[in-house]
Amino acid sequence: MGFAEVLGSGKFIVTAEIIPPKGTDVSGVLAEVSQFRDLVDAVNVTDNQRAVMRMSPLVLCHELAKTGLETIMHLTCRDRNRIALQSDLLAAYAMGIRNILAMTGDYPTMGDHASSKPVFDLDSVQLLQVIEKMNRGYDYQDNPIDGPTTFCAGAVANPGTRPLGPQLLKLNKKISAKARFIQTQAVFDATLFNEFADTIKHKGIPVIAGIIPLRSASSARFMNEKIAGVTIPDDTIKRMELAVDPVTEGLEIAAEMIDEIKPNCQGIHIMPIGGNGDTRRMLEMSCLK
Amino acid sequence: MIITRPKSIEEILKTLELFPGLRICVVGCGICARKIQTGGEMEVSRTALELRSCGLDVLDAGMVKHACNTESWDALVEENPALAQADVLLVLSCGAGVSLLGRISGKPTLSGLDTTSLGGALKDDILEGMCSMCGECNVGIYAGLCPKSSCPKSQVNGPCGGSHDGDCEVGERECIWVKIFDALDSRDMLYLLDGIRPPVSHDRRL
Repeated sequence: MGFAEVLGSGKFIVTAEIIPPKGTDVSGVLAEVSQFRDLVDAVNVTDNQRAVMRMSPLVLCHELAKTGLETIMHLTCRDRNRIALQSDLLAAYAMGIRNILAMTGDYPTMGDHASSKPVFDLDSVQLLQVIEKMNRGYDYQDNPIDGPTTFCAGAVANPGTRPLGPQLLKLNKKISAKARFIQTQAVFDATLFNEFADTIKHKGIPVIAGIIPLRSASSARFMNEKIAGVTIPDDTIKRMELAVDPVTEGLEIAAEMIDEIKPNCQGIHIMPIGGNGDTRRMLEMSCLK
Repeated sequence: MIITRPKSIEEILKTLELFPGLRICVVGCGICARKIQTGGEMEVSRTALELRSCGLDVLDAGMVKHACNTESWDALVEENPALAQADVLLVLSCGAGVSLLGRISGKPTLSGLDTTSLGGALKDDILEGMCSMCGECNVGIYAGLCPKSSCPKSQVNGPCGGSHDGDCEVGERECIWVKIFDALDSRDMLYLLDGIRPPVSHDRRL
């Protein structure tokens, strides 16, 4: 079943994220996927996340698609103008990739090439429009393309940020631009998430909530400081500090969060720090497996 | 008003190494750079002093009224005779001023400042990044707060996910989208943000 069909099936969705290598060897990441592929409906492959230069997600998505796995390719507006974005979309389709997560992208100064040119020719809303046009058989300038695509495009949202009004302005435009699903930034505050989910419930778009199992109090503090859009509450960090086994505590916090927000979302998206080694354990703890 | 920032003296010295033994004149601009204190009399004197202390041959420094707007090179020399005696000009003005002097002086003409944006001055407050000269102005629908220049990601359809508690994810700045939203909300004009804005047509700048 393709990811688009899974979305429509009403099933509680599980996706997990992998990060392409900073190098040319994909074997390590492919081995990582083999540990959890039976647990997920699709694997997200990030696009130079946090503006750290890595291998293009095209290659990994292609490799995984060849093995019959559904992939969601991240596509940011940071590094490509509208010509390059469309060119990569055509390439992705030709390589068997059917699901795209359209996003703005972290600013270059967050990453390891701080002085590089930030492109942002399109924003994520306009990128979704481009994908929708390609699905109708046209490029952005209304030139026909040789055969329409059938992409299933998703959008991102940050349920933990406030004020909510400006965020909803953008999100509603993404839904107007035919986003089929939403994957969110990591959720660490169930109250904020539930408020967000209630606000957009009437839109009927599947919301897949982002989950990051914490590894230590220090990494939580690092994320608060360095990862755009992530806010970890003080009491969560305190809990990590007091834990005898911080990794297990982080998995428990994540599992509790899943149970708490599950009624208000259509799935979860796991974004583990340092690989998916504990993904199975966390899903077992959350009663999803 | 053109917003400029001073280059480091190290960067200026490195560029001046390309012109060994030549006489330098530091030139300030009496308009924007003077107002924002990057190229007024004080800054010109300070720069000249620093270069002299590094052993460079620096003529008495001087100002021009407008580096970007003059009748002729001769008119500028009449205004400031040191310009004629110099072999190299180090101009503390925006890029347009440096470019104009470079075209008409016949001498190597170097930038002492970096030009970063179009801005404004409200009494003594210098407001940076008010315009990015995109060639397609529609700041009117954004309550005078241009997201193309004030948002580092030039977002025209709303904030990115890095906006938090009114702050931008990039550097120490406020999220312009929260300000746009609040300004239009207070005027009961949020409808101006309805609909998806298209991307900028960059060909309009040609």
